[in-house]
Amino acid sequence: MTTPALELVDVTKIFQKDKEKVKAVDSVSLSVSKGEMVIFLGPSGCGKTTTLRMIAGFELPTSGRITIDGAEMTNVPVNKRGIGFVFQNYALFPHMSVFNNVAYGLRSRGESDSIIQGKVKDALALVGLANAGNRYPNQLSGGEQQRVALARVLVMEPKLLLMDEPLSNLDAKLRIYMRTEIRRIQKKLGITCLYVTHDQAEALTMADRIMVMNKGRVEQVGAPYDLYSQPQSLFVADFIGQANILKVPVTGIHGETVQAAMPGGWVLSARATIPERIEPGKNASLVIRPENVLVVSKAQKEGHLPARVMSAIFMGSHIEYHLDLGNMGSLIAFSSFKPGMHIFNEDDEVSVVLDSAVSMFLPA
Amino acid sequence: MPSNITIEQPPAMNSSKAQRASLIRKDPALFSALIAIWLSLAIFIFLPLVRLLAATFIVNGTLSFANLSKILSKAYNVRAFYNSLILAMAVSAAGTLIGYLFALAITRTNWPKPLKWLLSAITILPLISPPFTSSISLTLALGPNGMLLKALGLGQLNFYGFWGTWISETLTYFPVAFMVLTAILTTMDANLDDAALSLGASRWRMFGTVTVPLSMPGIANAILLLFGSSLADFATPLILGGHTFPVLPTQAYLQITGLYDLKGGSGLSFLLLVPALLVYLFQRSLVGKRSYVTITGKTGARSQFSHLPHALEIAVGAVSIFISAFILYLYFIILWGSFVKIWSVNNTFTLDHFIYVFSHGRKAITDTLKIAVVSTVVGSLLAVVIGYVIQRKKFAGRRVLEFSSMLNYALPGTVVGIAYILAFNEKPILLTGTMTILVAAYVFRYYATGIRSVIASLQQVDPALEEASLSLGASSTRTFFNVTVPLIIPAVLAGMRYLFIHCMTAISATIFLVSVRWTLLTTRILESMTELQFSQASAFSIVLIVLVFIADALMLWLMRLSTRKFGTTQETLYDNTGA
Repeated sequence: MTTPALELVDVTKIFQKDKEKVKAVDSVSLSVSKGEMVIFLGPSGCGKTTTLRMIAGFELPTSGRITIDGAEMTNVPVNKRGIGFVFQNYALFPHMSVFNNVAYGLRSRGESDSIIQGKVKDALALVGLANAGNRYPNQLSGGEQQRVALARVLVMEPKLLLMDEPLSNLDAKLRIYMRTEIRRIQKKLGITCLYVTHDQAEALTMADRIMVMNKGRVEQVGAPYDLYSQPQSLFVADFIGQANILKVPVTGIHGETVQAAMPGGWVLSARATIPERIEPGKNASLVIRPENVLVVSKAQKEGHLPARVMSAIFMGSHIEYHLDLGNMGSLIAFSSFKPGMHIFNEDDEVSVVLDSAVSMFLPA
Repeated sequence: MPSNITIEQPPAMNSSKAQRASLIRKDPALFSALIAIWLSLAIFIFLPLVRLLAATFIVNGTLSFANLSKILSKAYNVRAFYNSLILAMAVSAAGTLIGYLFALAITRTNWPKPLKWLLSAITILPLISPPFTSSISLTLALGPNGMLLKALGLGQLNFYGFWGTWISETLTYFPVAFMVLTAILTTMDANLDDAALSLGASRWRMFGTVTVPLSMPGIANAILLLFGSSLADFATPLILGGHTFPVLPTQAYLQITGLYDLKGGSGLSFLLLVPALLVYLFQRSLVGKRSYVTITGKTGARSQFSHLPHALEIAVGAVSIFISAFILYLYFIILWGSFVKIWSVNNTFTLDHFIYVFSHGRKAITDTLKIAVVSTVVGSLLAVVIGYVIQRKKFAGRRVLEFSSMLNYALPGTVVGIAYILAFNEKPILLTGTMTILVAAYVFRYYATGIRSVIASLQQVDPALEEASLSLGASSTRTFFNVTVPLIIPAVLAGMRYLFIHCMTAISATIFLVSVRWTLLTTRILESMTELQFSQASAFSIVLIVLVFIADALMLWLMRLSTRKFGTTQETLYDNTGA
């Protein structure tokens, strides 16, 4: 087994805030392999940025251990860790030209001028700014500043590339373009990258693995596909993509399959990701993605739930139905749009078919 | 007196041993810097103050109010106290009003640009002139045999006393109010005026309901600053107050230089110190509460129409032009006075006075320049270190350090000067007669603006810049010199500019500290005035003003150079004038 590029063991950070102790990061453990891109995803204040800053060495953990390439780094100062950090606002030195910004780290390291010349040129070419060396940060657009920040870090060939919401200051279109650009460069260099964002689309499109955090704790770590299809908690189910959550009474558990009583007297069977935490006789949460909800004309049949259309919104690729299930609550359904299909109207009485193969049970 | 200023032991050292050990281990550079800072503050700020308080309150080795009550039993001293307060009120009211009218002229009219430029340029003059300038020229214009009095046929008017002092101080200090109020009027969202007008308000209504209320923080700040400046002013009442109008700073000075009564002088200083410190604390808390307006660049353009009510605009024009003309006239008198044989007796042209200044006054010129340069360099280095430590580091007693380091700045110069003689006139720290005592008096008083502008400028520098440097492998020392310092250079230069101007022109503290070995241009001006050598005094003043002008232009040029590439905003230079 090769040494992981980064390992966090029970890393905890407690801040003292107005005589009150706040656990910003709570026992986070993670192992990252070489060349992997791991994205820390979560709502603001969930501890993802603090975790990243502890990996960088800007903050020291209250307890726990951090190793980089197998070397103990928990209390090593930031300038001795061999990491590269891209800041949310880029933090380009305003008093230095683009060239000098990118050359800054190499000069700190004491590289010769000829090596600096070559490396800076390559780094600027890599981010597509070969001709911008003489300009100053305030003469660059947001996207260009972003690239310089990236070049400034990449030229150091760091063991770890750490990025703190690097795209949040860009406009929507540029953000989408830079996503693929960063991913392309990261893959090309084979560099290990940790990336903080609160934007799930960014996480899903860029990550090898995503670490979802909430209230300082890790909710789940996994590949985007796994998080989407097999969330371990309601928080993850709801935070990654859209999810309908219905509270239903459990009637039986058989291995990984959970059965629940549905209105109309029939029983729905679906798989559970953590069946051991579900009890018969109590409520469980049935999670189903909107695209897996089928809306059909009203019929009294097993597997059908009666519903009323509250609104139907045409979204281009699909119709978004908001459905009222009476006592069970409400539900969103996406029906992919085909010309000539029947579109239900507001107040229509319909039936909803839940695809049990792609539905799952989570503890309530 | 708040008791914390008598703390000679730094709080960092009072805290537990474990904490001290951890600071040494965690940040040895910070630890040694703190030791050095506290030690220098202990010597040059706390020790003199403690000696001053001791001289005031300790009689025959015991704590006693006997000294103070003896001082207060003399009606003349009590009158000096009242006079000081009344004068300060009158100056702050008149100065703020004139400053506001000037500020409106610059920011709320569409007068031609060159006129506005001229008006602001004229307001700079009193700020960079030695404190005697307006007193001298007012004496020449309105004093006995005064040019203006003669011209107006008012030969018998005696303007010595309240009126002369009031006019002179108002002319000297209104530019401070002008700067504070211009800053606030400029940062006010331009569209607010337009909005008020578009909602149907008349111009008077808009002015009364939008412009004035939004200027209130600036007006209050200006009033307090001027109050403090007038309270502390020593040079003006010394020349224009006369015997009929004693004020505290001159009383304290005469007590010491005339009667060699150090105890009496200390007691009077203490009476001056209390209101000065109160005003200072009040002003700081006021400024602290104000939210700093940042210019986002998103507000609309100011419409090009002047929005002042017509009558007000006429008043603004009349006042600002009259006062500007009067200031120019006063400077012209000084210039003219320096070129005539005997003021108002023999008006033939001569260069004698300048020849005298450059021969007999040469030592004063070189001494003043040497002391100013050394003080500026030492003071700004200290300001950078203290400002950096306060803004960027976390340690016990940070707020106390911030307050203590600026304490001398809050005190009137007379108080500081008397405290310095008390502290440094005998062993173990015998400094009287040396250059060190003059430099120390200037540094620990006027580096305060430097500290503040360093702190303000560091607040603008995103800590991410320093983190970026560290994460790129630079050491913290390298980060400080390659990233932090270049970014705060404009602020440091602004502080240096202020420091230098004050070292060249201040007198209130150093009048007690000059000696045969080290003398100053300002004391030469005072000597010439007391010997009624008005032309000589004028020539000294002209030389001093020209030197300050050259140095100031140099500093401004350096500031512009340092901000050219990345355009940081310049700090407001004057937020107080220490007399």
